[in-house]
Amino acid sequence: MTVPPPVLTATNIRKSFGDREVLAGVSLEAREGEVISILGGSGSGKSTFLRCLNLLEVPDEGQIAIGDVQAPLARNRHGRLEVSDSRAAARLRTQTAMVFQGFNLWPHLTVLQNVMEAPLRVHRRDREEVLATARSLLERVGMAGFHAAYPKRLSGGQQQRVAIARALATNPKLVLFDEPTSALDPERVREVLALMRSLADEGRTMIVVTHEMAFARDVSSRVVHLMNGRVESSGPPAHMFGADASPAFRAFLSPAAL
Amino acid sequence: MGEHLTFIGSVTAQLVRAVPVTLLILAVSGVCATVLATGLTAMSVARSPLPRLVQRTWTFLFRGTPLILQIFMIYYGFAMVPWIRHGILWAAFRDPVFCTCLAMTCCCSAYIAEIFRGALAAVPRGEIEAGRACGMTGFMLLRRVIAPSLIRIALPSYSNEIIMMTKSTSLASTITVLDITGVAQQVIAHSYRTLEVFCAAAALYLLINATLSTLLTALERRLDVDRAPTPLAPIPPTLEPLS
Repeated sequence: MTVPPPVLTATNIRKSFGDREVLAGVSLEAREGEVISILGGSGSGKSTFLRCLNLLEVPDEGQIAIGDVQAPLARNRHGRLEVSDSRAAARLRTQTAMVFQGFNLWPHLTVLQNVMEAPLRVHRRDREEVLATARSLLERVGMAGFHAAYPKRLSGGQQQRVAIARALATNPKLVLFDEPTSALDPERVREVLALMRSLADEGRTMIVVTHEMAFARDVSSRVVHLMNGRVESSGPPAHMFGADASPAFRAFLSPAAL
Repeated sequence: MGEHLTFIGSVTAQLVRAVPVTLLILAVSGVCATVLATGLTAMSVARSPLPRLVQRTWTFLFRGTPLILQIFMIYYGFAMVPWIRHGILWAAFRDPVFCTCLAMTCCCSAYIAEIFRGALAAVPRGEIEAGRACGMTGFMLLRRVIAPSLIRIALPSYSNEIIMMTKSTSLASTITVLDITGVAQQVIAHSYRTLEVFCAAAALYLLINATLSTLLTALERRLDVDRAPTPLAPIPPTLEPLS
């Protein structure tokens, strides 16, 4: 069996905010079809790491590549890493999509317009084609009846499902989820997780920062435990949730098990 | 009583003929101040410190001094500057309407820029990040994500500023412009009937502002998507235009 090509390669990512080192050299490779769950306590750097992957945060050190395209990071004259070509960075982002903890739908656009915005404006795809895709995606996330609604009229779970449809609308190579269920009540968590599970089943490449242990264990192909800005341990869920998991990861899990 | 009404009627007719002057000053300085304020707002978030300093200084000067002094300085003061007095610019600076518009543009742009700056800071970061995350940059991000939110946030304060500007146009009368207030004073100089004339002038300002505020409130409602109903109809089979 051939190994699928890497969709994302992040090498030795470091990031500090002031004196606080949030990421102390994190590397990650995501291959096509992989679902990687990033777990860790609060302040472990997992969200920052995810935001570095699409350059919403500029890392202090390290390299990122989507497919075989390197992220345009170069040192400025002060020696700090910065985005050297913002157009190239934007092009790179068009290959990815992000689902946020706070949904971040555009409030002045309807559900349908939210989903159509990126493929229409950024990718400049054909209107009819974009509309057809948007319709089937809204159908898929169970929001077809709400196409003309504005986001504020929707529940959190509904908004997040629309946000997932929006993320898929450009058919990205990689979808980044930043704690997608943390702002939802338990009822809504289930509907969003079920949707994410179905995306995983169809072979989407996903990197998910989450606190949902059951999702990490049952859905992901790999679990990464971040602690103090480093990968403390990683591996397939069977290993990570099995008997020979690292003590630190077990300690992290134990309060959740209570 | 009948004589009163006849007088007020004829005064009002005279004042109404001055309404276009008031509206001209309002329209020109309103549009120019808004455009200038947009530039100042962009400067206030610039990377390099110089534009930020210019914006802060501009606001400091024009918000910190009385508008009437600015008008006097431009109309009377600049006439003392030889290269303006004898230069090509004199054609403009000798015109009191131009001077009023210039002073009001400078002054009100400082206020409007502060309104825009506050609104820009209030645009939710998440909306902008969602735009950047899907590959939007620069102008597209501004036009499709930032501006729609910014306008909605700024509109109530902006409307307020426009109403204030309407009233400020009356300062033009101090430099010989025959706007509503100017004509009112002229009529009073001839008739000595202060109360009726000022009441008629005030009524005209009220009418202008009532119209403006109705229009601006209508715009506000139109932009407020929360008020829009949520139809639960199926997606239309044909394409509808996306505005």
